[in-house]
Amino acid sequence: MTMILLENVSVKLEGFELNIDKLEVGEGEYLAVLGGSGVGKTLLLYTIAGLIKPYAGRVYIGSIDVTDYPPEKRKVSLVPQDYALFPHMTVIDNISYGLRIRGVPRSVAYEKAKYLARLLRIEEILDRKPDTLSGGEKQRVALARALAVDPKVMLLDEPFNALDPELQMEGLKFLKSLRSKLEFTAIHVTHNIMEALFISDKVGYMAKGKLVGVFGREEFLQTKYSEPYVDLVENLYRELK
Amino acid sequence: MKNPAVKASTFEYITISLSALLLFFIIAPLVSLFMEANPSISVEMIRNQEVINAIEVSLEASILSVTILTVMGVPLAYILARRDFPGKQLVEAFVDLPLVMPHAVAGIMILAAFGSRGLLGGYLQDLGLIIEDNFKGIVIVMAFVSIPLLVDTVKVGFQLIGSSLESVARTLGASEWKAFTTITLPLSFKHILAGALLGWARGLSEVGALLVVAYYPKTVNILILEYLSVYGLKYAATLSAIYALIVLSIFIALRKVASK
Ligand SMILES: Nc1ncnc2c1ncn2[C@@H]1O[C@H](COP(=O)(O)OP(=O)(O)OP(=O)(O)O)[C@@H](O)[C@H]1O
Ligand SMILES: [Mg+2]
Repeated sequence: MTMILLENVSVKLEGFELNIDKLEVGEGEYLAVLGGSGVGKTLLLYTIAGLIKPYAGRVYIGSIDVTDYPPEKRKVSLVPQDYALFPHMTVIDNISYGLRIRGVPRSVAYEKAKYLARLLRIEEILDRKPDTLSGGEKQRVALARALAVDPKVMLLDEPFNALDPELQMEGLKFLKSLRSKLEFTAIHVTHNIMEALFISDKVGYMAKGKLVGVFGREEFLQTKYSEPYVDLVENLYRELK
Repeated sequence: MKNPAVKASTFEYITISLSALLLFFIIAPLVSLFMEANPSISVEMIRNQEVINAIEVSLEASILSVTILTVMGVPLAYILARRDFPGKQLVEAFVDLPLVMPHAVAGIMILAAFGSRGLLGGYLQDLGLIIEDNFKGIVIVMAFVSIPLLVDTVKVGFQLIGSSLESVARTLGASEWKAFTTITLPLSFKHILAGALLGWARGLSEVGALLVVAYYPKTVNILILEYLSVYGLKYAATLSAIYALIVLSIFIALRKVASK
């Protein structure tokens, strides 16, 4: 079954246009999206989340046309590029926010938050305010906050770019294991090709406001779009020798 | 890093002396005011019904005006901080208009629009809203002159928070209202309070437009002018000192709350 479907979606901003002819992500599928800086990856996620209204085209989530739905009706969780943790709340209140806003009692919401914090290894910082956290800690809080509401769709905007390699691997493994349990559909934007290949089922590539294509993981490595990423490693290797 | 062993640089010397000069410029009139004020007259004054009434009118009108203004100004500030639309710069210019208008002109404008012989006066009269020499007129004048201070301060507060926090809140299930009340409002509370304080102070200090629109019921500012022309500086200064004491203590107390 198709979980996310975009058809002829156009978003126009001052000086930038996003045009997605077609994007289809199956239920439970994990799509990584690569592409240069400023090509519209974040904008794509915002459009799916309902934070930006396309001026043309339709957006479907779970076969429902949500183009005119407000974000809160879409059951789509976002881990934004800048984390956007609520600065006036402690970590545990950040994580519980989505549940509390739905009227879930505090004790129940806190239980869930603690459970996720344990999984993400942030249980030590639950009582702290976001401005005291490291970049990696903030990202895991943002991830926990997005997961707490059991979303059908997860939109992750470079969720691991502030993590050290060890935590990055842990985060990726965690997300992967969680996926098999919670069965969410995900679009995961990243600049890291290893991350993309490790976690995803498919890899999408964007350029200049367009989705150039969606490929299988191995297939992607055969395309010219993977070249800059591979070159980077090869050049470095050559440099060191 | 400050190092007391190092001699003050020319830069420090100049900045500090200029600042001190400016501070003196503020403090000297304040101190002089209290020295000019006469204790025995002031005892007499705070028992004077006319003075008590004027203080009541000033405080009540300014508090009412800033309350109404906050209810309407916060949404406007929010729109200006969050949205782009054609003509936005014009709207922003209108908001700042009361700031650049001479006070008497502001009074004439209000009279021309809302006065009983003004453009909208007839309709307002039907609604029972007469502004000339009326408490309601004082409230309107005070609100008018305070608009830029409140709206601009609150707008900056909203801009500082940015929209991404609200965006995330929305994706987590919060409606526009919920996102505003649980995220934006608590985070901008200080700015709203600061804006309201500035607006309130501005309203209290207005006299030019009041002379035009609503001389009666007498506000303290009007009474001070009256005392100055009828009884001279000593009386005016004494009333001013009493008023300054009241206003300053409220202002300082609220500032304390705002900075917490
Ligand atoms: N609110 C906005 N108004 C106008 N232009 C915008 C707005 N938001 C983004 N843009 C522009 O749209 C383009 C795409 O932005 P977007 O944030 O989607 O890029 P990105 O692919 O996520 O880049 P990065 O990898 O650096 O995060 C950029 O040129 C950006 O300047
Ligand atoms: Mg981005």
